[in-house]
Amino acid sequence: MPKPMIEVTQLHKSFGSLEILKGIDLDVHQGEIVVIIGPSGSGKSTLLRCLNCLELPTSGTVKVEGENFADSSGRYNEKRVAKLRTEIGMVFQSFNLFPMMTAVENVMAAQVKIRKKSKEEARKTAEKYLKKVGLAERMDHYPDQLSGGQKQRVAIARALAMEPHIMLFDEATSALDPELVGEVLKVIRELADEGMTMVLVTHEMRFAEEIGDRIIFMDKGMIVEEGKPDELFNAPKHQRTKLFINQVLHPEAEKV
Amino acid sequence: MDILSHLDFATAIKELTPELWQGLLIALEATVGGFLLAVVLSVLIAVGRLSESKVLKGILVVILEIVRGTPLLVQLVYMFYVVPLLISLVAQFFIPDYQFQLNPLFAGILGLGINYGCYLSEVVRAAILSVDKGQTEAALALGYTQRQALWSIVIPQATRQAIPVFGNYLIMMIKDTSLLAFITVNELLLRTQAYASQTFLTIESYTILAIAYLILSLPLSQVVRLLEKGFSKHA
Ligand SMILES: Nc1ncnc2c1ncn2[C@@H]1O[C@H](COP(=O)(O)OP(=O)(O)OP(=O)(O)O)[C@@H](O)[C@H]1O
Ligand SMILES: [Mg+2]
Repeated sequence: MPKPMIEVTQLHKSFGSLEILKGIDLDVHQGEIVVIIGPSGSGKSTLLRCLNCLELPTSGTVKVEGENFADSSGRYNEKRVAKLRTEIGMVFQSFNLFPMMTAVENVMAAQVKIRKKSKEEARKTAEKYLKKVGLAERMDHYPDQLSGGQKQRVAIARALAMEPHIMLFDEATSALDPELVGEVLKVIRELADEGMTMVLVTHEMRFAEEIGDRIIFMDKGMIVEEGKPDELFNAPKHQRTKLFINQVLHPEAEKV
Repeated sequence: MDILSHLDFATAIKELTPELWQGLLIALEATVGGFLLAVVLSVLIAVGRLSESKVLKGILVVILEIVRGTPLLVQLVYMFYVVPLLISLVAQFFIPDYQFQLNPLFAGILGLGINYGCYLSEVVRAAILSVDKGQTEAALALGYTQRQALWSIVIPQATRQAIPVFGNYLIMMIKDTSLLAFITVNELLLRTQAYASQTFLTIESYTILAIAYLILSLPLSQVVRLLEKGFSKHA
């Protein structure tokens, strides 16, 4: 068994009195691609954001490559958390590119500021990853001069340039026009082929089925069911999973 | 009218203009110094007010209320006449007969800087709050600490947004340097006063002074408008 890259144990997360995650246990192994699906509001984004500590767990632990985000006394030390985050790349639905920087500067910024690389070195790495996502020609464009698909590919390059061991995608294509979804999915697919460990939240069921090693179905803050794509999509065990998949695959059908 | 036939703009222009040039240099010195101080203070105050520390926030709110609740002229007079006395009083515990003095221009720069810094801090604070939370999150996800994200991602965007507003305050400050006449800074108003009382060319002198300020601020307003356009790019 490959080593676990992420270990989540009994993760609970509440906002005020509202419990959003109700005891999640999840391991992600090296090279594994885990896809999280589930209805809106079920806590998918919250779970993903707990994986890199953008949300602090209310209780339970999250470990990355064996290292707990909390220190030995259970506190979340900012420097420690920031350091662990450099091993995890995250791609957001809304891209979140830095608007005052060009594409290449976006990809360079954290390399220089956090990894303490020289500008020349950072630029080389940035160019490599921008080429990889097919944007060699757009390097000196500002985000507002790029299409949604291009922005998202810059965001992916920006995350990759930190050379993380894990990538998180939160509905990376949901904000895109339909004709731009493909170019982003293609980049994610290539990463998968290279063996990157990934956790994705997506509404693209066909993509989930094709790319995922394991599908996790979440509802109301809990993991209801998980399994290999063809099991989960073609023979779901739980009624709730069945309903959800039916509804997403056949949105034109009447709600049950 | 008798007065009208005695108006002598030609003489007043000829004699007062060189004086006004001298005064303008001093006014510009005060503006540059005061505004730089104001910008630095405004960012520090804004960041302080957004910090976690209740004590710091409390102190800053009190300072802001004092500055906004008193006239700039009173603050300038206080800075020039009272603050040196207070400093002298304290210093005399250690050095007998010590007399602290503030150079008038320096006192003016401090007074203008602190006053404008407080008003500008509201602009900066609003600008910081208006930067999308996703910007901070993206930075955090890349391994920035909160502080690094604030200073290298959020504040550059916030100041870009604030720059056109800053421009308007800059023009206001140039005009407010006329208040420095009351603390013996030899700027345009003080020189005009001196000239008018020597020559009794009252109407001419102050009319020329007013026109001088107009000539100064009208083109600057245009520059600010251009800045507004330039800085709305890539924001
Ligand atoms: N910072 C927050 N404060 C309060 N409530 C929050 C916060 N973040 C999320 N929530 C709530 O937590 C619940 C789960 O949100 P989450 O974003 O994790 O759902 P999701 O499964 O990602 O949904 P979607 O498919 O719509 O993105 C929602 O009801 C949401 O309103
Ligand atoms: Mg979500």
